[in-house]
Amino acid sequence: MQDGPARDACRRGLIMASRRRVAITGVGLVTPLGNTTAATWDALLGGRSGVGPIRNFDAGGYPVRIAAEVKDFEPPISGANRKLLKYAARHTRFALAAAQEALADAGIHPEPATSTRWGCVVGSGMMGVAFAELVQFQHDFAPAGAVASKLVFDPAMPARDPVAYARNQANSGLGLLVQGFGIHGYASSVHTACASGGQALGLAMRLIRRGTADYVLAGGFDSMINPVGLAGFCMLGALSTDNETPYRASRPFDRTRNGFVLGEGAGFLVLEEWQAARRRGARIYAELAGDGNSLSSYRITDSHPSGDGPIQAMRWALADAGVAPSEVGYINAHGTSTAMNDRSECAAIKAVFGPDTERVPVSSTKSLMGHLIAGAGAVEAAVCAMSIRHAMLPVNANLAESDPDCDLNFICERPVSSRVGIAISNSFGFGGSNSCLVFRNPEDVAG
Amino acid sequence: MAREINWEDIDNIYPRVAKAIAQALVRDAGEVRLDSRLFGDLEAESIDLLDIVFRLEREFKVQIPRGRIIEDARGDLSEAEFEHEGVLTGAGLKRLREYLSEVPVENFRSRMKLGDVPTLFKVETMCKMVLRAMRAGAA
Repeated sequence: MQDGPARDACRRGLIMASRRRVAITGVGLVTPLGNTTAATWDALLGGRSGVGPIRNFDAGGYPVRIAAEVKDFEPPISGANRKLLKYAARHTRFALAAAQEALADAGIHPEPATSTRWGCVVGSGMMGVAFAELVQFQHDFAPAGAVASKLVFDPAMPARDPVAYARNQANSGLGLLVQGFGIHGYASSVHTACASGGQALGLAMRLIRRGTADYVLAGGFDSMINPVGLAGFCMLGALSTDNETPYRASRPFDRTRNGFVLGEGAGFLVLEEWQAARRRGARIYAELAGDGNSLSSYRITDSHPSGDGPIQAMRWALADAGVAPSEVGYINAHGTSTAMNDRSECAAIKAVFGPDTERVPVSSTKSLMGHLIAGAGAVEAAVCAMSIRHAMLPVNANLAESDPDCDLNFICERPVSSRVGIAISNSFGFGGSNSCLVFRNPEDVAG
Repeated sequence: MAREINWEDIDNIYPRVAKAIAQALVRDAGEVRLDSRLFGDLEAESIDLLDIVFRLEREFKVQIPRGRIIEDARGDLSEAEFEHEGVLTGAGLKRLREYLSEVPVENFRSRMKLGDVPTLFKVETMCKMVLRAMRAGAA
């Protein structure tokens, strides 16, 4: 009988050989860079920033008056699904549009015969009740500050909108997605702040691996660009206040970085069991090959300066995929552009990659599209899939002054043309949740 | 005794009622007709009925307590005479048929559950509900 590492390697080899693989066959995006995958990718490669003055509401009195907003968005939803929009808050509309694009892109959708083999897993829910509805409630029923409970159902009071409650439930987006696309297998909504999107995709991958589903519509969506969301992040001092130079405000890993830029949007992927995707001749962007989750269990909003937490997430994700750090060809960093995150993430990458740190290209696409919060992990997973497919690595924009604490091999100034075998994507959340996903080039998968 | 609701009354408010219903059900205005059944022809869900009533209250500045149609149909019958354990009695069904005169007789079933009554509602039912609420408000 073999012992220790040799036995573990053998066991890992057996697991890898027998495990159901997961193919990414569809991508859909609604982001501050564009309302489709193609538009987003085009802007990423072109280095065009999605950050500008806030138009969603009047932020004139806020210390931060810029954000990465989705622009000119009309949900391309028609037919029977048109009614779903009635129950869809802004971020849920992004989700419906991105999911529809992902399914169309994959060329497959749930049908009566397959619907119980479909799952849906989403990362969402940072914000609940829409601000305008809170204001109305306060105005009608709490004019003196405290809720006057007798007023709430007083027939003499103005009628209340019964749909608002349905629209503002934390899982309303998930409910509309499964109803709209006819999914009957498995559904879950993950909320771990900024790690949500990454964790949702990791869970989706595991559903297919363990045979619970053969297909999963998986993604993340969020919008916190509203008076409450923006105020909260302003009070935490987490946002860049560079109101005069919005396109340069998000500058992950730059020595002068001073906070993140709030973004909004949605990213969805269609995941399929590998053999099923091959049999139908699907175009496979990448294998979703590994998922690592860790908890920093440190502080609410601080990341550990040593990178503790993210280190384990990356190591476990690589181990889950059976990949060595030397094989990784691209890291899509969490890279929020806050002083603390970027320093901690760099420490973590150095700890995991050791001598490979100098070689492996790194970029944070938040430099152009801002931070999509619960949607970020899913959108950045889509960026990794596109990077593998197109052999192009997007730029880490606005990195002009190097920080001695952040000395990685950043992709500066222009995108890099490079075939990628393995890409990874990091997403770390307030509260200490850390997610890392691993993507493999489909050309490197036998079968 | 309030005078009967006549066609002219209904005609006067129908466009606004139809618009509110079309908006609630996210349908084109042309899809909503006076004799459309909400739950059948227009594929309403239970929450839509709440939404329709909310929109009509706001549009016509009236108050329509939830469950008003059934209460009005019951009239002077006691609850026990009208329904038993959630099922309409024979007398209750007769009352309901008279009250919802716009609904074809064949749509009423014996031993009908109270919870199924909204499936009978037509756009015209909503018009009459609004007219009664307007009169109650004016009284």
